[in-house]
Amino acid sequence: MPRRRILNPLTELLAAVLLVVLVLVVNRWEFSLAVLLLVVVPAVLTSGRVRQIGLAVLLIAGPLLLSSLLLHGLFFPEGRTVLLDLGPARVTREGLAFAAVMGLRMSVFTGVLLTAAMTLDVPELLATMTHRRWNRKLVFVVGSAVGLIPHVALRAQQITRAQQARGLVLGRGPVARVRALLTVTTPLVIGLLVDASERNRMLGARGFSSPGPRTSYLPDTDTPRQRAARRAMVVGVGLFSVLWLGSGVLA
Amino acid sequence: MSSSLTLPADRTTERPRRLLLALGGALIVATYLFLVIVQPTEIAGGMGSAASLVSLFGFLGGGALLVGGILPMLTTSSLVIMPLGIALNIAIGQVAGSLGLQIYLDAIGTVLVAVLAGPAAGAATGALSNAVWGLFNPFALPFAAGAALIGLLAGLAAKHGAFRRVYLAPVAGLVVGAIGGLVAAPVAVFMFGAAGTFGTNAIIAVFRSMGDKLLVAATKQGLLSDSLDKIVVFVVVALIVYALPQRAVRQFPFARTHRVLGARSGQRAMTTAGAGSVR
Amino acid sequence: MIRVQSRSFAYDDGVPLLSGVTVTVEPGEYLVVAGSSGSGKTTLARLLAGAVGSDAGAVFRGSLTLDGETVHFEGGPADPRIDPAVWSASVAFVAQGAWGQLSMMSATVGEEIAFGPSNRGVPHERLRREVDDVAAALKLTELLDRDPRRLSGGQLQRTIIAAAVVQRPRVLVLDEPFQGLDAGAAADVAAAIDVLRAGGTGVVVCAPMLPRTAPEGARIIALDGGHAVFDGLLAEARWAGLRRYGIGTDGDAPRIGAARMRGAPTTAGRTLVTVDDVVVRYPSPGEPGGPGRGERRGRRRPPGPGRTPAVLDGVSLQVRAGEILAVRGSNGSGKTTLLQVLNGLRRPESGRVTVDGMPILRRPTGTLAGAVGYLFQDTDQQLFERTVLREVSYGPRAAGLRRVDALRRAADALEAVGLSAVADIHPYELAFVQRRLVALASLIAAGPSVWVLDEPTAGLDEPARTGLAALLVQHAQGGGAVVMATHDAAFSAAVAHRTLRLEAGLIQEDSPDPGS
Repeated sequence: MPRRRILNPLTELLAAVLLVVLVLVVNRWEFSLAVLLLVVVPAVLTSGRVRQIGLAVLLIAGPLLLSSLLLHGLFFPEGRTVLLDLGPARVTREGLAFAAVMGLRMSVFTGVLLTAAMTLDVPELLATMTHRRWNRKLVFVVGSAVGLIPHVALRAQQITRAQQARGLVLGRGPVARVRALLTVTTPLVIGLLVDASERNRMLGARGFSSPGPRTSYLPDTDTPRQRAARRAMVVGVGLFSVLWLGSGVLA
Repeated sequence: MSSSLTLPADRTTERPRRLLLALGGALIVATYLFLVIVQPTEIAGGMGSAASLVSLFGFLGGGALLVGGILPMLTTSSLVIMPLGIALNIAIGQVAGSLGLQIYLDAIGTVLVAVLAGPAAGAATGALSNAVWGLFNPFALPFAAGAALIGLLAGLAAKHGAFRRVYLAPVAGLVVGAIGGLVAAPVAVFMFGAAGTFGTNAIIAVFRSMGDKLLVAATKQGLLSDSLDKIVVFVVVALIVYALPQRAVRQFPFARTHRVLGARSGQRAMTTAGAGSVR
Repeated sequence: MIRVQSRSFAYDDGVPLLSGVTVTVEPGEYLVVAGSSGSGKTTLARLLAGAVGSDAGAVFRGSLTLDGETVHFEGGPADPRIDPAVWSASVAFVAQGAWGQLSMMSATVGEEIAFGPSNRGVPHERLRREVDDVAAALKLTELLDRDPRRLSGGQLQRTIIAAAVVQRPRVLVLDEPFQGLDAGAAADVAAAIDVLRAGGTGVVVCAPMLPRTAPEGARIIALDGGHAVFDGLLAEARWAGLRRYGIGTDGDAPRIGAARMRGAPTTAGRTLVTVDDVVVRYPSPGEPGGPGRGERRGRRRPPGPGRTPAVLDGVSLQVRAGEILAVRGSNGSGKTTLLQVLNGLRRPESGRVTVDGMPILRRPTGTLAGAVGYLFQDTDQQLFERTVLREVSYGPRAAGLRRVDALRRAADALEAVGLSAVADIHPYELAFVQRRLVALASLIAAGPSVWVLDEPTAGLDEPARTGLAALLVQHAQGGGAVVMATHDAAFSAAVAHRTLRLEAGLIQEDSPDPGS
């Protein structure tokens, strides 16, 4: 089960983003590693969705890390210290170091953001955005898109089955693939557009263009304290960045 | 004539926030120039902390400003297709990504929205698409500005007739893809050391083995992959929109007024629909 | 209180869809607008809802009156535009097709119902109260925390009605509210409408057929080809000879001459389909169609230990050439799954399936299209070509026929369902009934000997329903076989030779229909 959340999703999301910014600002492998071990790993372990998040991080960051290691480990023309010469490819110390630092940065980046996103309660986030008077068009587009994604995937699956029942056999060549893509996407898009034109009317009838603020069916879980904390976090990270980067330039 | 039942006669939608649009555009251009002109030397020594920060903030911030400027001027009919464009991008892009292809196919929805509802809606769809995708795949996040640019250019291409003939679509795709590749390369390099799928990284490796700098190699790869990708995307979108019923196209003022699909733009009179029934 | 006066309504100056029609709806009234496909009832429903379609290329000449205030339209760009938010506060509208009427941004039924008032800035506490009230009235209270995207058809329809009436409008207009619902779900929706009517809301229902029962004093307006051909009480309408306009009565048997009908199947007919001890299980909890759907917030339950329950629990049956078999049973009894096993869309866990002597379990579905034709419940997932003719010729082309031959077979199939006149139209420009017939023609064109049909009569009008019955009988007499899942008792009683009753994945009863 999802863990019991303590903070408002907006606060958690902002904290995650600021953490990523900090990692970029400090830009030392020691700091990245510390964040990974002291923040990301505990956050994942206490999230209540350890398996899902671990799997997602692995699936998304894994291939990137591996291909990045191959790329920089084997091909890094700027490298001076050659460890192994394989003809056109050379394993260099600098290349491996570069791959390691980038890999660490990518791991923190994926780990922090995915943990925040995958424990995120999207309806609560949308409700908070509404209560905080964010642009209602933005709230609609984001909310509706998130809601549509599983619907689109399910519909694509059903259409594929319907087309198979009519004689579509999934081929292997690139042309056959594009054809298959079209036989599935075309009815998908038409159906979605027909729905969208009905939704257009529905939004009008439900007063979507009404002036004045929107309200939300869900309660406001945000608190003045969290709002203050969010502002403080932004200011804090901003100040720190200026000081850190400034000292770096001067040094 | 005034009635409580009708809307005011003047059809002014909210004016675009020109200041936001100008700021957003300028920020993106400035970021790009900064990365390309100032930073290439830095990458050889280590990785620029400033460079990655600038690319994150410049492109994300620029994209956010653009969205903030565009949203108020969109009509509800444009607004309702943006979520489906975003959902299509993510659903199809996710599949293509998991197959490890050299192309991404993650802009079909953006280009579709741009063709039907215009460059502004296209740009907003592109940017928001990557923002929403960031919830599932954080690596999509920094490419938001590039995606917005693709939507903008696709909409402009559609406005000037690139979708009136089937053979024009791949040409437009090539040009838009090349520009998109140029913009995406520095983001990939400065944020993630140009990490990508095995397919794209293999291409970068080839250029690297010939001694190119990372940014140069990534740019060349971007030009190659993105052009190819956008050619396929534009052709697929062209074939989809040609297969759309007039009724579906007709609801979009942009597609109608600019005759985006040529003779298919929903102006031909429907004459025989509704006829015919079972004997 | 509402009056629609339509001198003409057309798309881009094409054929008028509604001309010379004036309709008035009074508060508290129950009005049924009946008409076959293409009669103009959807156009009328939309006009009542204040949607004149000028932004979608429609040209409307006439006037709309609400509470004594009249708005005139001349079909030009200078026409006024109705404010949909104001209009819908008095007249709520529920269109066909549920998905387009969900905002897709609500994770729960409660949020979806609250969408309208929350846009208008109704404060949180009052919002909650209004939603609770309307949910209680429409028996949705227990569904308030469910994901609207995972509801059954009847629940979804009631949710959309609730979202439309939460503003307490005085009139509710519904366009084919029972389309695609089984008897139980349709009864639930009808009960919901009754509750609203009892509360004083006027109700307008557009439907392809006359209702079997209607409240006291129900008024009928019959449309044909964009003109009103009848206006009066239901009792009078039954004797007004509306059949000549293609308007039948719900639940009547299709009118095909009893002699031409059915004709006992030649018992010597060879066996075309054999299903032998087939077991199918739900894919896994949480997946669409599986148990565990619609949980709070749509989050998935972790897969429990042990196997998922069976959808089909050892089903065996045979279908002979010349036979029409009806499969009946409540929702969730496994009807659709059984049909999908027949063309390989669903792979059973164990058991054997043969079609025309050929075991099909290991063959890709796509290669079976020539042997088994499948009509989906939702037609719109199939159509993707630019014209009806190309659409119908897709099957034969995919089977490897030459273009010319494929087009000829397509033309023949269109002739058979009576759609030759619209061969060059885009399938989506057609009305629902005709799209359904296009899908049927696609099936026929591929030339399979076994037809598998999922709810073939759902949403059809009288002419299409009768035509379908004739086609099925003809196919069976020509040595083919038909297996159909249906809720339409009158239809299956008139057409089927045998009825199979499926309950909880088991065949409860296998009986020859009386009179065969």
